Amino acid sequence: MEELDKSCEYLSGVCPVWCPGCGYYGILSALVEAFADLKLPTKELTLVSGIGCSSRLPYFVKAYGFHSIHGRGLPIAQGVKTANPELTVLAVGGDGDGLAIGGGHLPHVARNNVDITYLLFNNAIYGMTKGQFSPTTTLYPVTKTSPFGLAGEAINPSALAIVYGATFVARGFSVKKEHLKELIIQGIHHRGFSFIEVLASCSSFNTTDMNVARIVKNLEMIPEDHNPEDAIEALRLAADQEKIRLGVFVRNQRPTLGDKFQEMRRKAKGKGAANMEALLGQFA
Amino acid sequence: MQSDLVLRVAGESGEGVITIGETLCKIAAREGIHIVTFRTFPAEIKGGSCMIQVRLSERRIPYHGEGVDFLVCLNQDAVDENLPDLKEHGVLLCEAECDLPEKNPGWTAYKVPFDRIATREIGSRISKNIVVLGALSHLLSLPKETIEKFISEKFARKGKTVLDHNLDALQRGFDFARSHLAKKDSYRLPKGSGRKRLLMTGNEAIAIGATAAGMRYFFGYPITPASEIMEWLAAHLPKMGGVVLQTEDEISAICSVAGASWAGGKSMTSTSGPGLSLMSETIGLLSMAEIPAVIVDSQRGGPSTGMPTKTEQSDLLLALYGSHGDATRVVMAPTSVSDSLRVTALAFAVAEKYQLPVIMLVDQALSARLETVDRETVERLPQGSRSCASPADGAPFVRYQLGGSAVSPAALPGTQGGEHMVTGMEHDERGNFACDEETHTAMTVKRFRKLAAIESDPLVAEFCTRLGDENSEVGIVTWGSSAGPVEEALAIAKGLGISAQAIIPRILNPLPHQELKTFFGKVKRVIVPELNFVGQLATLLRSTYRIPTIGLTKVKGVPLAPSEIVEKIVEAESTLNARSTRAYGRAG
Ligand SMILES: Cc1ncc(C[n+]2csc(CCOP(=O)(O)OP(=O)(O)O)c2C)c(N)n1
Ligand SMILES: [Mg+2]
Repeated sequence: MEELDKSCEYLSGVCPVWCPGCGYYGILSALVEAFADLKLPTKELTLVSGIGCSSRLPYFVKAYGFHSIHGRGLPIAQGVKTANPELTVLAVGGDGDGLAIGGGHLPHVARNNVDITYLLFNNAIYGMTKGQFSPTTTLYPVTKTSPFGLAGEAINPSALAIVYGATFVARGFSVKKEHLKELIIQGIHHRGFSFIEVLASCSSFNTTDMNVARIVKNLEMIPEDHNPEDAIEALRLAADQEKIRLGVFVRNQRPTLGDKFQEMRRKAKGKGAANMEALLGQFA
Repeated sequence: MQSDLVLRVAGESGEGVITIGETLCKIAAREGIHIVTFRTFPAEIKGGSCMIQVRLSERRIPYHGEGVDFLVCLNQDAVDENLPDLKEHGVLLCEAECDLPEKNPGWTAYKVPFDRIATREIGSRISKNIVVLGALSHLLSLPKETIEKFISEKFARKGKTVLDHNLDALQRGFDFARSHLAKKDSYRLPKGSGRKRLLMTGNEAIAIGATAAGMRYFFGYPITPASEIMEWLAAHLPKMGGVVLQTEDEISAICSVAGASWAGGKSMTSTSGPGLSLMSETIGLLSMAEIPAVIVDSQRGGPSTGMPTKTEQSDLLLALYGSHGDATRVVMAPTSVSDSLRVTALAFAVAEKYQLPVIMLVDQALSARLETVDRETVERLPQGSRSCASPADGAPFVRYQLGGSAVSPAALPGTQGGEHMVTGMEHDERGNFACDEETHTAMTVKRFRKLAAIESDPLVAEFCTRLGDENSEVGIVTWGSSAGPVEEALAIAKGLGISAQAIIPRILNPLPHQELKTFFGKVKRVIVPELNFVGQLATLLRSTYRIPTIGLTKVKGVPLAPSEIVEKIVEAESTLNARSTRAYGRAG
């Protein structure tokens, strides 16, 4: 009971607008429970999102929230973390938001190793706009904008994040709340860019791809002995067509964007005094 | 002795043309001479013709000069292309091999075998431009020790051999000129005040203005002609504890700015038209979420990729209206390099104080031109800051307060008790989405009230200037770098006995209504010189004040010439008495 109360402190009181049966409710509770476990002060908690049903999440959490525009949560989060490295910064968004319209940003926050945690809600459909296919739609090819089937192959979000060089890549499932909570905790603890793909069913527009029964039947946890520094093996696991692997694919360390900025400041200071007078000197 | 000298150096890109011009500028600025330059850039990376025009003067000058007093040509193409611009009694200094036209209206020509001296005598073809400098220092009586000092500074890092080659080149150029060229003209370097001036480009001024204003977070994507802003900042902002990040595109740049600014850092991006087009959606977000940001657009020629190395002022309507919905933003345009310093600082002051995006428009010619700046300009920059709340514990934080001031205090992430939402959706006072009719109306009004408040803020008072004869009935409204040729044109017209006056607002949204209405109440003709095809400022003025305007537009990729404006003034003046007209003011 006490546990429950703690996590409720992270709810804003705004009632979620999601449909009954939406997988996102599970993600919201895993998230606030993770915050409660970590005892994160709400004043330092920052949630940035794009546009979509998933991107509505920040309204429901007691934190500093930035609900922005479609596909742009990641660069905004990068800016927030850059200006105030003390903050715990999370970005959330949908599969369309992060892989279609905003797909150009993911490789760059990953290679910059921006120290934020990104939850990509994969429901394999455009929920907000009511049922058009997304870049991850696979088993439900006949959508409102693909009445005669899909033109393209689906993207595998976790595999993509691994190839882009994200330093933490994991996959969770909205129904496996405890497991998801653990992933979120690990992601927040990780120093660097943490990418967490969360499978969640859309009860209104695609109950096939993320069908709970189907996922439960096919899921398999990543073996305990998997070495998360082995990116090739991680890719093999993430891209597995037979089984849906859950857990941490990749975890490794390298300097974050913030570390690099510190290094640049240090090098630059070696090249001249830090005041306007000195800067103006070069124009005299 | 003349108080003013217009000198042009022309040649092929790679011949060191720009170095000659810039060295002259450096030397003159140290003497306290006023300088304005203009330079062209070939569209190609290597090769192609290029030139730099340097106007040096004892007094402050607004324009790089029309007609050349002293022309330096490094090859035949340069002679052919530039000789038509030489004044009747001007001077030509050129490569000895060049053929000159038989008809000479009265110029003095000096020939020097630059190529031969550099290749044969010094054994280094690339030192040709320094030979030219040597010859120039004799012909214009430049302080040779200052040039030597300057060359020593410039080449010291490249080692003794290179330095010696260059000092040798300077001496040989000088000696050749002294022994072979009898000075037949009277041009020389104008007298300086002796008070050293700073010399910088428009892009450098923007970077410095921003740094001085406290900007510490810069995100950008390279694009001609704005890249130098980011390049300068990349080298220097980290010294001040700031950061510069080259992002994957302009959308990421402006979004990173939005994030950094929301978190409390003064943030900025710079781009050109193509990038501003990409940023449009985020400008709406900044407006809606009420987040400060400074966006610099150095305009280039034409739509799409257009003419990347040429100048134009054709992004005004994009800056004013780009982005869907009624998205508030401030649009500013400095007129010169030193004005760029002040207006950049003003952009930050206004963005922070009013929590909205400010777009500052400059253009290729202004970005690239070197100009002297007084050091005091940097010391007296406008200032403004964000109003931040100290939230009461317990009560939910109200981010977008209705009633009272249009600007509501922000709570920066990390502030105790200030947790709240900012959003691009229409929202209530707490930032929660709300689509009801009352809220949307009230919040739209709140956002636009900020613009009304800016218009009457003393902070912006000195950023609309009047020039010329205040009683004249011929009026000119112009913006950005076209103000230079307008100021010059007013002086020329006055010399011809024709009076005219001009008003130059640095803030184009919100327009300075009081000043403009007063102005339109006095004049009977309004000429609007600007570098675009449709007359973008004229369109704005006509729709805002319902006045007829006389357009003066140009899309040649180069600045307006004062003579083109004088012609319009003369034309407008001649129609004044033709039929009775009333002042414009009452139509407003
Ligand atoms: C620039 C732009 N284009 C299109 C839209 C319309 N739009 C809103 S959400 C969305 C897709 C949402 O799908 P997804 O990102 O998967 O999120 P979900 O709703 O499934 O959580 C689209 C196309 C928009 N808001 N902005
Ligand atoms: Mg989706």
